Amino acid sequence: MRVKKTKMLEAVIPTASMADIAFLLIVFFMISTVFQVDKTPVKLPASDKDNRIDVVKDSAFVVIREDRTIKVSDGIEESALVNLEDVGVHASSWMQKNPNKPVVIKADAAANYGLVDDVLEHLRNAGVTNLKFLTEQGTTQ
Amino acid sequence: MKIEIKKEDAEIPTASMADIAFLLIVFFMLTTVFSANRGMEHVLPPKDETNDAIEPDEAIYIHIFPSGQFEMDKTSYTIDQVEQVYSYVNQKVQVNAKKPIIVHTNREAQYGDMVAILDQLKLLQVHMKQELAITIPSKEEAKRYEDFN
Repeated sequence: MRVKKTKMLEAVIPTASMADIAFLLIVFFMISTVFQVDKTPVKLPASDKDNRIDVVKDSAFVVIREDRTIKVSDGIEESALVNLEDVGVHASSWMQKNPNKPVVIKADAAANYGLVDDVLEHLRNAGVTNLKFLTEQGTTQ
Repeated sequence: MKIEIKKEDAEIPTASMADIAFLLIVFFMLTTVFSANRGMEHVLPPKDETNDAIEPDEAIYIHIFPSGQFEMDKTSYTIDQVEQVYSYVNQKVQVNAKKPIIVHTNREAQYGDMVAILDQLKLLQVHMKQELAITIPSKEEAKRYEDFN
């Protein structure tokens, strides 16, 4: 008697649900995408989660890095490098358009406070009142 | 003779659907930034109100030094003991909720230390459900406080 040849099963990866998975990922990334005006990497200081308030859309940004470079953005355009003296000029123009415009300070935790103080002074003179210190979630300990 | 018209099925081509989907995935993956977009709020006083500066002796005076130490009403602490700020200020504002709090940071100190202290004060504010009179002195005021000590 002849032994029947074993029937080989064809290996197939099911691809029917591929599109579903792809669309799920699209939706996830669409929802989580934020077009940020500033992408400078800084090590933010930590603060308690109860204190933290969402940054309002179109807030102006002042970025202070540890190496003493300063970047500003009006909340619409990408942030650009500026001199300390020009911070006040930029802030004044923001305040002219919208006197209540929130300004976000994004400074490195290791930055020198003197420079932050200078920036605050310029903002104060420009008439900025609504200020936010950008922080990272965490306890201070 | 009867002529038979062959009807064509209406169909939307779906073969490239997955390609389009993956293109969109790649686009959103590249543009996504998971960033910190929350922070602590602080209201700066209007420019013309700088004249009525607070006297340090009638306020809770916190002075932050470059060494990572800070002084609160003449008592020294290190920045690790930052929680002391919460309990001390809490005790004071229970008596007088309007008591001004001055956060005077030395120019050579680290910004992170100042935020750590501000964090404690803001936390107390949240827990008390009440605004506290937190002041970050301007350069002019800071100079006066330095002379005071």
